[in-house]
Amino acid sequence: MTLKRVILKDSEYEIKRARILRTKQMTETEKYFEIQLPGGESLDHEPGQFVEVSLLGIGEAPISISSSPTKRGSFELVVRDVGKFTGQGGRLTGALHKLEAGDEVGIRGPFGKGFPVRILEGNDLLFVAAGLGVVPLRSLINYVIDNRRDFGKVTILLGCRTPQNMLFADEVNEWNKRLDVNLNCTVDKADPEWKGNVGLITSLIPGVTLEPERTFGVVVGPPIMYKFVIKELLKKQIPERQILLSLERHMKCGLGKCGHCQINDVYCCQDGPVFSYDKTKNFPEAV
Amino acid sequence: MAKPKVAFFDFACCEGCQLQVANMGEMLLDVLGAIDVVEFREVMSEIGPDKIDVAIVEGSITDHHAVERIKKIRERASILIAYGACACIGGVNGMKNNFKLDDIRKEVYGKDYKYFDSVETRAVHQVVKVDYKVNGCPVYIPEFVKVLKAALAGLPYEVPDYSVCVECKLNENVCMYDRGLTCLGPVTKAGCNSWCINNNNICYGCRGMVSNPNENGAKDVIAKYNIPMDLVVNKMNMYNKCREIDQREQPKKKH
Amino acid sequence: MQYVTLKKERFDDFISRLAQDKKVVAPVAQDNNAYAFEPVTSGRQIAKDYIPTILPPKKYFMPQYETLATFNIGNGQQMEPVVEYERMILFGVRTCDLAGIQCLNMVFSERPKDHNYLVRKSKIIIIGYECNDYCDEYASCRLVHNHTPNGGYDLFFTDLGDKFIVHINTQAGDEIIEKTKLFEEANEKDLKALEALREKKRKIFANEVPVVHENIPQVFEKSYNSNIWEDLGKKCLSCGNCTNVCPTCYCFDVIDEPNLDLKTGKRYRRWDSCQSETFAKVAGGESFREERAARQRHRYYRKFKYPVDKFARLFCTGCGRCSRTCMAKINLKETVTALVAEQGLTDKKAGKE
Repeated sequence: MTLKRVILKDSEYEIKRARILRTKQMTETEKYFEIQLPGGESLDHEPGQFVEVSLLGIGEAPISISSSPTKRGSFELVVRDVGKFTGQGGRLTGALHKLEAGDEVGIRGPFGKGFPVRILEGNDLLFVAAGLGVVPLRSLINYVIDNRRDFGKVTILLGCRTPQNMLFADEVNEWNKRLDVNLNCTVDKADPEWKGNVGLITSLIPGVTLEPERTFGVVVGPPIMYKFVIKELLKKQIPERQILLSLERHMKCGLGKCGHCQINDVYCCQDGPVFSYDKTKNFPEAV
Repeated sequence: MAKPKVAFFDFACCEGCQLQVANMGEMLLDVLGAIDVVEFREVMSEIGPDKIDVAIVEGSITDHHAVERIKKIRERASILIAYGACACIGGVNGMKNNFKLDDIRKEVYGKDYKYFDSVETRAVHQVVKVDYKVNGCPVYIPEFVKVLKAALAGLPYEVPDYSVCVECKLNENVCMYDRGLTCLGPVTKAGCNSWCINNNNICYGCRGMVSNPNENGAKDVIAKYNIPMDLVVNKMNMYNKCREIDQREQPKKKH
Repeated sequence: MQYVTLKKERFDDFISRLAQDKKVVAPVAQDNNAYAFEPVTSGRQIAKDYIPTILPPKKYFMPQYETLATFNIGNGQQMEPVVEYERMILFGVRTCDLAGIQCLNMVFSERPKDHNYLVRKSKIIIIGYECNDYCDEYASCRLVHNHTPNGGYDLFFTDLGDKFIVHINTQAGDEIIEKTKLFEEANEKDLKALEALREKKRKIFANEVPVVHENIPQVFEKSYNSNIWEDLGKKCLSCGNCTNVCPTCYCFDVIDEPNLDLKTGKRYRRWDSCQSETFAKVAGGESFREERAARQRHRYYRKFKYPVDKFARLFCTGCGRCSRTCMAKINLKETVTALVAEQGLTDKKAGKE
């Protein structure tokens, strides 16, 4: 008649011990991690999905996967030091920033519904990313570039606060050099060396030429951005169901149970984080 | 790895929170296994070294001498933990701020009051930077251990910003309002595991108010239970008078 | 035979015999007309006329604090997922609470399954207990059709005056009957008495909110932007009492607690509340339900709208706990009545015989 504690074999909370292969401080608040599962096992994710990253004794948090599934043997994450960025919280992300190659993290996942790659095939793609949005979007951009023949015209619009805040600047340069990719960047605040646009990401959209019926707009960025970008894409006649968003919520358990990530009647961790606008427009709590 | 050097200090207080350390029982051995106590006036006569890793400060700051002393402690310590209600929110010493300083000096010290220095009561964070807070009158030992672990691991500790009711319900206590008593649980920060209510006492608000209490809603509740408003204000001010200094000196948060 | 009877004088014996080899928990009186499920060893400890307990029996299915894993990081990120359980018999579960457990079963059986919950559930035997009359004015069990049993138990007790008539619903229930050897087969008269009681209940339990049951989802479909939510927001103290006492609220937080060695420790979950200020906050600092009104609305929608779409079932059990516990006197019956009126769907005759 006492409380028994036994090992639970099929627990959804079990973590995999993963090893950090490489790190890079990208900006003052963003750090890059290349991570390998035990035995080089594939994460087997779709672009746009996320993992739960653990440091036992500190906690667990959902982090978007930044690498494309076409990259084999390891995957990549970019972690923002939340405490440093917002001045509060961020126990886990602060601790993650102290880790280096050779250290271990716990991984659960991948979780959620990513970008519908099969549906995107054969269509033109207009990527719009602001701030940290480029991190999850990069998983799809690199997937598309690695399977370039399967997709139509590719346009990438990027926005960030300053040129120094640009994430994956080298890679963005590579994308820019390609003949089969159109890329345009904007910053909120330029420095003397900046030759690109200055202003909000929305200002880049009117200049894009596209065939709306065969174009998917794929948008990832801070919550405040969506309303304005969606408005511009609709002005371009892109159908509502062809506008895809990845929404940020606190996906605590990743299992559609804990309730933190709920948006009206959907669980962002299971039904999202990628949604089409024809769905989210019916969720008053979405954007 | 050398054990961190920890020192205890006290200011205006009853020293009851430090006494809680002695009341820890078995857990005290675990704690002493993890730290090296270098200064603790209540239990030892040694004075610690110039540089200490963790300063645990009980009491509020009530005169110029204390202001200078806390600043020196801050310089000595890598981490400063405000310990107990007096240190964290001013506590009962804050009641002094209900009166004009000279009036209260006359009341306490009589005709020679001019020789006795006194300033408006302040919580420690209202004088120097505080890294961690262990709220409560006295501190709740399981929370102190939690804070200590966070400090040793170099991690932030966030005092829960929801009300005592949350923990109280999880403990399945009968609500004090249903018993016809006025309890400050609904507007007081949790983290004490509703210690007082578990022991058939009301909440006195010793942990400080949640950052966004619904003041109008609370007034409605008070009115509905036929509780005189000034009674609640007095109850609240018993521990929380120094909150006014925060409101005065910090830019107003948007809510 | 599916029905047996137990003479009242044998009730104490029955509980004692049960308690001999299993933990038995049942409603026990606290002060101020409050009750709580607690371990008992004799029938005398059990409250006879009790209103719903402070916390529903969900505390045995998903405890307030529940260890999910233990860890030791001395040699890397090593954890061992665990489940904690206790074999027990829950006695005296009202029909509203049976419904609550059924709701949680649906949630935690849905993929990805929550094995912690499912293991614990498999160790608990449930003995239901019929309400012959209303517990108090807060209940709205008739509105959600939970005033009579709808399954979800192993045995079900109904008070017939000098004896209980007991419905045997499962093999596990039958084994209890066999083992305790205190029951008699129910006769024609007993069954008639049960039928008469249910007939009487049909008159006692009248719709607490003047609306046709089938119209409830429709009311909520149209009420999203109602001003009534603002009214609730002005009153609400965000104390989380309503969600903690709700038999179908299951939100939780996951927390790590290292030991003083900072190497070993446990990961556990704790009940959380959508009413709390920080519940829907993300790392960037935005809160997606910043206003109390939106949080209260969310709570109601998680009872009357969202689960209807997902599980074809209302998640309000009609137990009345949220209204009973609310210091700000936010009252579920009044709120739903006001929403119904606002939508012009008031039907004074609804649910009355």
